[in-house]
Amino acid sequence: MNISAALDFLWDYRLALSIGLGNTLYFTAFGLAFGLAIGFLVSVVRQAGHPVLKVIATTYVEIFRGTPVLIQLFWFFFCLPALLGMELGNVFSTVLTLSLYMGAISSESFRAALKSIGTEQRDACIALGLPARVSVPYVMLPQTVLRAVPTLLSNCVTLFKESALVSAVGMADLMYQGQMIADATARPIEILTATALIYFIIAFSVTRIVSFYERGYLARMRL
Amino acid sequence: MGRYTWDFSVITANWDPLMAGLAVTLQLTAICAVIGLIGGFLVCQMVMSRIAPLRWVAIGFIELFRCTPALVQIIWIFYCVPYFFGVFFDPFYMAILALGMNITAFNAEAYRAAIQSIPASHYDACTALGLSPLKKTLFVILPQAVLMAIPVLLTNTIGLLQQTSLVAIVAIADLMYEGKTLATQTYRPIEIYTTVAFIYFALSVPLSQAVGLFERRLRSRLA
Repeated sequence: MNISAALDFLWDYRLALSIGLGNTLYFTAFGLAFGLAIGFLVSVVRQAGHPVLKVIATTYVEIFRGTPVLIQLFWFFFCLPALLGMELGNVFSTVLTLSLYMGAISSESFRAALKSIGTEQRDACIALGLPARVSVPYVMLPQTVLRAVPTLLSNCVTLFKESALVSAVGMADLMYQGQMIADATARPIEILTATALIYFIIAFSVTRIVSFYERGYLARMRL
Repeated sequence: MGRYTWDFSVITANWDPLMAGLAVTLQLTAICAVIGLIGGFLVCQMVMSRIAPLRWVAIGFIELFRCTPALVQIIWIFYCVPYFFGVFFDPFYMAILALGMNITAFNAEAYRAAIQSIPASHYDACTALGLSPLKKTLFVILPQAVLMAIPVLLTNTIGLLQQTSLVAIVAIADLMYEGKTLATQTYRPIEIYTTVAFIYFALSVPLSQAVGLFERRLRSRLA
C-alpha cells in the first residue's frame, strides 16, 4: 500500500472525520460531567445514606455495571421513549445513557476512595459538630477526589472508548463517520486504521497522564 | 407518563432463538476467557522479559488494545485481516480473535500488577535453591500471580461477557443480535430489550459476587 496516497485520501475526508471526533468529544464531555456528579452522590449515599436509598443506589450501580452499554443504549433509545410516551431526542438519550453508565462506574472509584479516608476524619467532623452539608463538601469531597483521580481518569478513558457504541444507534460520532466513509469509498483499511489511531492517541495520552500523576503527585503526598 | 401494556408472551413465543443467542454469547465468553487467562500470562512474561524487543512488542500490543475501543478492534479485524493476510475465517473465529486479543491485553496488566506485589525475597529464595527459570516461573511465580490476580481477572471476565454483545454489530447471532432481530420483527422492543438486559445482568451478578468473595478471602489470608 502506498503511504502518501493513503494520506492524500485521508486528507480529503478530514472534515467528516473531525466532525465525528467533535461529536465523540461532545458526548464524552457531557457524559463525564453528569456522570462524575452522579457517581459522587451515589457513593456518598451508599456510604452513609438512608437504608432505602442505599438499596436503590446499589441496585442502580449493579444494573449499569452488570449489563452491556450497547443494550443500555438500545433501551434508552427505543424503550424509554415508548414507556414515557414522548420523544426524548437522540442527543438526550445518548448523553443520558453515557452519564448513567459513567455514574455507575465512577461511583465505585469514589467509594473505594471514600473508604480509604480514615474514620478519624469522620470522628473529627462529629467532634467539631459539622453537619453533613459542611463535612461532605469541605472534608470528604477534596480528599476523595484527590485519591480517586487515577481511577477516575481511567474511567474517563473507558467512557471515551465506550462512546464509540453510539455509532450503533446512528449517532454521527468518530466511529460512525469512519464506517460511513469506509463503506462509501470501499477503502476500509486507510480509514479504519486512521480512526483507530485517533482513538489511540487520545486515550493513550490520558493513560500517560494517569501514571505520571500516580508516580509523581500521589507518591509525594504519600496518599 | 404514557400508558404501556406489557406483554411478555412475546418472550415465551421466541424463547428458542433467544436461548440459541445466549449459547453463542456463552461460548464466545468461555473461549475468550480461556485465551485471555493463558495469553495474558504469556504477554505479561514478555513485558517482564530481559530481551528488549520482546518487551517492546508486548507493551505495544497491550497499549494498542487497551487504548482503542473494542468496537473499533472488532470492525478493524473484520475488514482488514482478510485484506492483509488474504484469509477469511468464519465470522465466529474472527470475533474470537478480536475479543481474545482484547482480554489478553487487559489480563496481562492484571498479572503484571499481581507479580509486582510478590515480595523480592521469593526471587532470592528461588536463586538460593537453584531453581531453573522455568521452574521458578511455573511453580513459584504463576500460582501466586494467579491467586493475587483473581479479583481483577474475574472483573475482566465480566467485562468480556458484556463486550461480546458488540459482535451483534458485525451480525454474529449472539444474544444481543437475536434480541435486536426479534425487537424489529415483533415490534415489542421494550419486553425484549428488558429481558435481554436482565439475562446479561443475571449472568454478571454471580461473577461480581465471586469477585467480592475472593477479595475478602485474599485480604484475610494476607492479613
